[in-house]
Formats: sequence, structure tokens, C-alpha cells
Amino acid sequence: MLRLENVTKLYPTSVRPALDDVSMDVDRGEFVFLIGPSGSGKSTLLRLLLREEAPSSGNVFVANWNVARLANRKVPKLRQRMGCVFQDFRLLGNRTVAENIAFALEVTGKSEHTIRTVVPEMLELVGLDGKSERMPAELSGGEAQRVAIARALANRPLVLLADEPTGNLDPETSDDIMLLLDRINRAGTTVVMATHDRQIVDAMRRRVVELHLGKLARDDARGVYGASR
Amino acid sequence: MNGLGFVWREALAGLRRNVTMSVAMVLTTAISLGLLGAGLLAVRTIDRTQDLYYSQLAVQVALDEPTSAGDANCSSPTCTGLREQLQGDPLVSAVSYESRDQAYQRFLRIYAGQSILQLVRPQSLPATLRVTPKDPTRGDALVAEYTGKPGVRNVVDQRALVQDLFTFLASVRNAAFGLASIQALAALLLISNTIQVSAFTRRTEVGIMRLVGATRWYTQVPFLIEAVITGVVGAVLATGGLVLGKLFFIDRLLSGRLISNAIPAVGMSDVLLFVAPLLVVVGAAIATATGYVTLRLYVRN
Ligand SMILES: Nc1ncnc2c1ncn2[C@@H]1O[C@H](COP(=O)(O)OP(=O)(O)OP(=O)(O)O)[C@@H](O)[C@H]1O
Ligand SMILES: [Mg+2]
Repeated sequence: MLRLENVTKLYPTSVRPALDDVSMDVDRGEFVFLIGPSGSGKSTLLRLLLREEAPSSGNVFVANWNVARLANRKVPKLRQRMGCVFQDFRLLGNRTVAENIAFALEVTGKSEHTIRTVVPEMLELVGLDGKSERMPAELSGGEAQRVAIARALANRPLVLLADEPTGNLDPETSDDIMLLLDRINRAGTTVVMATHDRQIVDAMRRRVVELHLGKLARDDARGVYGASR
Repeated sequence: MNGLGFVWREALAGLRRNVTMSVAMVLTTAISLGLLGAGLLAVRTIDRTQDLYYSQLAVQVALDEPTSAGDANCSSPTCTGLREQLQGDPLVSAVSYESRDQAYQRFLRIYAGQSILQLVRPQSLPATLRVTPKDPTRGDALVAEYTGKPGVRNVVDQRALVQDLFTFLASVRNAAFGLASIQALAALLLISNTIQVSAFTRRTEVGIMRLVGATRWYTQVPFLIEAVITGVVGAVLATGGLVLGKLFFIDRLLSGRLISNAIPAVGMSDVLLFVAPLLVVVGAAIATATGYVTLRLYVRN
């Protein structure tokens, strides 16, 4: 599903590579935690998968796409099959919950009909049925992240990329979000999640990939957060 | 198509979001296009006037009294000699003879019913050799060559007589085009700036669009439509301005006794059928090009 082959990423403005000769594979339906200290290259790895950045060398594959070599005009097609959520939710403050979810469908050219059926489905999936007309400012952090997840899933992506999705949430709310992500993963969506949250990683006992200064430091099939340090 | 609806809504929202700037942008565009239109009307008037005159304009070689008197078909030796010399001249393409009698008849036709007729008798009109120069702009050479020849009273280049008029019209045209291009530059910069501001205002939205896989149609075309709307609305306002200008300025100016015979009127159809479509096309094209370049240079897609 996802594959990195000897990927190195050197940002033009820095001397140390953000990713240094990283190779890894993620199968369809896996749940992968991406951990490592700040600056170790977690976000960079996710950005390469989304083709927000191109690798300095090496290859990146997502499903059948050779991501690094993809023509610019094909990038939207790739991104439509990849959902992503972030620490800061990135909702549009001037649109309701339902409109935020509909937005992802609208700007990828889905029909009115599709939008009318998919939006309620997504709201139900993330447990926000009654709050479709709320504005983002009227939501708790956990609710906002649920809306972001609903939006990320609206186009039925193959992979969900999450960059510290619980970074702004209290432990209890984080657990709820993790339950949701686990449920989504069990329904078949591959999930890659970058996190600093030791508790979550230890509780879930899923695959753990650790980066250290841009290098792959560890890859455990059912890992915990602090094993190697 | 749903995409079309989205793009339109976003473009209109963009224009509404910063009304002050949108109005400035539209007005500047309108003034620029209005000046361009005025220049085009001047060009059209010049062409018309030239068509009207140039076919009839000739170098008139007027013959003196002895040569003019009683010669119905240029049979006197002086006249024949002059005519042959003119026909052999490399600058000349055709020569025709108008006798004093024919001149008088023409005079009677042109000024039929006017009091000037009572003052003119056949004897006061010269016979003329009407010379069509090969190159209408070289009439001066003919004037220089044939003035003072035996049998010649004077030589007049009719084109030189109306040249002042054309010079005036041409300067109107140049001034209009000059101002139009300065104003167009202002319009370009304003459109470009507005798009940059608009893109900055919507950066979160566009960022999310890119993330969920929206194509450039969704991320960029709204900005282009904003620009196109500006261009088209500007062109419509400019056309309105030209119509008012025609009704309240040009029509009055050209209705003066002297000028009305010399310059053909600017028709409403010139404004609406010739200039207006051009302004719409030029306005839309320039705005689109500006928008496209701005997006390329300043806005990540
Ligand atoms: N746009 C950029 N330009 C230059 N350097 C960058 C850029 N983005 C990241 N970096 C550098 O690349 C390295 C890896 O950054 P990255 O954001 O991938 O780390 P991270 O593991 O996500 O960190 P965190 O846990 O703090 O989010 C860091 O040294 C960072 O300074
Ligand atoms: Mg990060």
C-alpha cells in the first residue's frame, strides 16, 4: 500500500537531512504509529506521502502511484485517495460542521446527490449526528477532530494519515479519538499516525516505527513507545 | 456541472469580500477601456474620412486665363504639352481635363439654390488638369514641379488642405491610446494586487482544497473568474461612458456647421457593434492574462 525506498529528504535551508535513507513498507489495512523526538522527520515523511514535498532521492509509492514522479496534474487524484488530519484540525471557521465535510466532496467534483448521502453517513460514523449545523467555534477539541476525521474520510481514502491528531486533546478525549481511528482501521482503512503520546502507543500495541534524526531507528510489529530508550 | 457553480460562487464571494478594492479595480479597468474605445473610434473616423476624401483628392493643376478660355478638350498647344508632360511623369497615375464650362456645371450642381451662385460666372473659374498621383502622399513633389510652368495659374494638393484635419484626429487617437495604456497598467497592477490579497485571504480554504485533492479548476479558476468579471464589467461601464460621450460631446462637436460636412458622424453602431465587443474581449483577455500570470508568480497552486 505504502512504500518508501531509500528515501532522503534534504530541505534546501538545512544541512542535516530531515529523512536519511529511510525504507519501509506498509500493507493494506495496517495501523502504524510513527514516533520519535521532535524534529526526527515524522511530519516530513507524511508530507512526502502526500506529495506536499518531493524526496531529494529515493522512491515513494502509494498504491500504484510513483508519488515522487507523479505529474503535477495527477497529484489531486492521489490526494483524493489519502485522507489526512492534523493537530490543529484545520476546519473552515465560517462553515458549519456539515458544510466542512461537504467541502471535501464539493471541491473534488462530487454530485449534489453524493454529498447529500455521504455527509450524514460520515457524521454518524464519527458520532456527531446531532451537531451538523454547529459552527467549528461551538465545538470541543474532540468534536472538532471528529469533524476533521469525517472530512478526511468523505472521499473514501485508501489511507488515513494523522499528524499528532491527539496533540491538542486531553487524555480522555484522546482515547475517544483513538477508539474512532481504531474502528476506522478495522473497517479496512490503512492508518499512519505520527504521535508523541506514550500512553496511546503503549495502550494500542500496534506497529511502531521510530525515527531518530531522520533515520529509521526501530520498526516493531506490536511495539510500545519507549522500548529502545 | 457542480464545479461551475462552486467556482462562480467563490468568485462572487471574492469580489464582495473586498468591495472597495473591487470597485477601484473595475473603475480603473473601465477608464482604461473607455480611453481605448475612444482611440478606436478616432481611428475609425480617420479611416472613414480618408475613404471619403482620398478617392476624390487630386493635385489640381489650374490653368491660367488664356489657356482656360474657350478650350473644351485641352486642344491648345500649351494644354496638350502640359498634359503629355504629366502623363509621362513617373509620379502620376492618371490625368483628366476639366474645362471651364464643365467646372461651372459642377459648381452649379454643388451649390444649387445657394446665393453664392450669383457671384460666380464661368469666366471666374479656371480649367484644370486633375492629376491623380501614384502615391497620394507625394503630392507636394508635383506641386513643386508644376508651379510656375507656362500656362499654369497654380497647383493645389487637395490632400494637403485636409491634412490638418487628419493630424488633429491622429493626435486625438494618440492621446487616447497613450492614456489608455497608462491606465491599463494601473488596472493590471490593481487586478494583480487584488488577486494576491484575495488568495491570501483564502489561503486556509485553498490549503484545505489542495489537501483533499481539489484540482486547479477549484483552487485557481475562482480567482481568474474574479479577474474576468472585472474585465467584462469594466468593458460594459466603458461602453456606457462612450455612449454618453457620443451623445453629449461628440455629436455636439460634430454638429457644428463647418465640421459636420468634413467629418462623418460617429454612429451609435460604431460604439455598440464595433467598439463594445472589442472592449469586452480585450478587457476579459487582459484580466485573465493578468490573473494567470499573478497566480503563476505569486500563488502556490
Ligand atoms: N519546510 C522546511 N524547511 C526546512 N526545514 C524543515 C522544514 N520542515 C521541517 N524541517 C526540518 O526537518 C526536520 C524534520 O522536521 P519534521 O517536521 O519532519 O519533524 P517532526 O518529527 O514532525 O517533529 P515534531 O514532532 O516536532 O512535529 C527538522 O529538523 C525541521 O527543522
Ligand atoms: Mg511534526
